Amino acid sequence: MKYRTDRAQITDEAEERLAAEIRELSRGAQGPAVPPDAYWQNVIVRVNATIDRATSGRALSISWAARVAIPGVVAIVSFLVGLHYYAPDALHHEPTVSEVLLSLPASSVDSLLVDPSRVDPSLTVEDVGPDVFVFSRDQIAEYFLDNGNPSDAVDGIPEREANTVFAVLASASK
Amino acid sequence: MDPRSDIELVQEVRNGRRQAFSELMRRYQERVYWVARRIVGSHDDADDIVQETFVKAYLALGDFRGDSSFFTWIYRIAVNLSLNALRKRQVLNYLHESELLSRILPSSDDPEKDLENAETESALQRAVKALPEKQKAVFVMRYYDGMSYEEIGRVLKTSVGGLKANYFHALRKVREKMRNEIQDGQGTDH
Repeated sequence: MKYRTDRAQITDEAEERLAAEIRELSRGAQGPAVPPDAYWQNVIVRVNATIDRATSGRALSISWAARVAIPGVVAIVSFLVGLHYYAPDALHHEPTVSEVLLSLPASSVDSLLVDPSRVDPSLTVEDVGPDVFVFSRDQIAEYFLDNGNPSDAVDGIPEREANTVFAVLASASK
Repeated sequence: MDPRSDIELVQEVRNGRRQAFSELMRRYQERVYWVARRIVGSHDDADDIVQETFVKAYLALGDFRGDSSFFTWIYRIAVNLSLNALRKRQVLNYLHESELLSRILPSSDDPEKDLENAETESALQRAVKALPEKQKAVFVMRYYDGMSYEEIGRVLKTSVGGLKANYFHALRKVREKMRNEIQDGQGTDH
């Protein structure tokens, strides 16, 4: 272990004695060159110019833009990359007509009018378009003639539409 | 001489009057320059530190709460920047010594000028240069600037007892180094 043996010697007098000795040793020695008077005025001008640059609107706008844009761009790119690589394939899978039908309540499925000729297990909703459940009056009539009991189908529809259905059926059966 | 106090000038700068900051610079630039010059040793480095000190002070003026005087605050910035510059230089010197950089960078554009500068440096400057950084800062503030230990303590945020020990050891090292140089010089004369 190292012991400091000189701690007791640290007094104001000892300090002053050492400083005086150093002054004596360096007497006559040339100190560092003193800058000319013009230097001091020049320092103020340069500092002010640096402050102007640091606080100008341009510097602030670049700094602001950088602060906002860089994280923003990073976030957007990350999101897009993540979406591209990690979105499950199921999102891109178009449901088949069968899947749509099976997802409906049983009562709805029973009353649905689907053109059998257009139903195929591989057919998707996108393939058949938005008019998959739109049928002509003739198709409606044929369906009820084939399957009978049309009152089941018209239980849930307004009276005006029900009358239309019965009228079509009456004319078709003639 | 502008009769306004430092605090009044600081308040004016905060209110948007830049001219007041020029007055603060005028008051303290020489002291800032010399403390930096004595710690880092060269005019060019001291010049950089003076500029950086005032720019930093201006930009951070909003943080100046007036707990210490404006001079102590700005002096602290200058001393810290000077010590940082020394540390950077030590790293560079180490790299030069380990020949990692000397293969890439020449020590100066003009080696003759380097030698000349080294020769015109006084024994005292060389001795101060060789001190550890904390002792060097205390030595510069006390020996050259005549600051009290309380003032130095506020700048370096250190206890007076520790500062006294630092200064005392710095004085002894400087004296020994100067004595040795003088003896060596006399020895080579004979």
